[in-house]
Amino acid sequence: MRKFVIVLTLTLAIAIPASAQRINLDFPGLADRAEEVVDVTLDASMLRLAAKFLGGDDPDEREIRHLITGLQGIYVRSYEFAKDGEYDKSLIDRVKSQLGPTWKPLVTVRSKTKENVNIMADVRGDRINGLVIIATEPREFTVVNIVGDIDIDRLSKLEGEFGIPKITKDTKDKDHD
Amino acid sequence: MNLEDDLRRALRRESPAPGFASRVLQRIETDQAPKRRPSWRAVAASLTLTALIGGGVAYEHHVREGERAKEQVLTALRIAGEKVRYAQSEVRTIGSQD
Repeated sequence: MRKFVIVLTLTLAIAIPASAQRINLDFPGLADRAEEVVDVTLDASMLRLAAKFLGGDDPDEREIRHLITGLQGIYVRSYEFAKDGEYDKSLIDRVKSQLGPTWKPLVTVRSKTKENVNIMADVRGDRINGLVIIATEPREFTVVNIVGDIDIDRLSKLEGEFGIPKITKDTKDKDHD
Repeated sequence: MNLEDDLRRALRRESPAPGFASRVLQRIETDQAPKRRPSWRAVAASLTLTALIGGGVAYEHHVREGERAKEQVLTALRIAGEKVRYAQSEVRTIGSQD
């Protein structure tokens, strides 16, 4: 019986934080108000499937495959609005309030004129087991939740490299056309 | 009067053509004869074809799903990478001003 209790406690101790890494990114009604929406939901099985289609002879794709190996999920919700103030700023706190005590703020950028970015990581020892990025502008609200062991330096090098097109204001505007 | 004649002509009894009865009997016998069963080769061929078509459709679906997942990964990492880089550049800018 004692052994059973120990095993159960250990299992819960491992399982609860692991499951708590994924945050709720359900924002009812927000997509209806947005002009442009990016909604990415990739669980572990979808990531494994994607990994099969990344790689081959392309070193860039192999690098991305390496980056996503070990991840349990990637979730993105990005909303762009036609005018300012279309989203409730309390959504930022709603996302943050879901993060447990192992989550630490890595970078916080606050700007009156540019984008505000909060990067928080689920730090367990030397490892980062999850990442949440909240980026806001008057007309944009973006949340990224990466569940699993992620290399942030490698992630930051992705933009404009590895066949991932770099986003500039111009290309965004072209996308609207 | 003409109408009566016409009706009488139309409804008058006529004998069937010679051999009509035997042709009917022959037709009945043909219809009642046991139908030919499809050979096992035909069954095997149709099963194989069905399996191939089913497999092809499933594989195509798998490839489509995989490509879609790959595109989603690239989109997600592009957005995440962009935000991280922006934050890093802001931190560097502030650091260089100090």
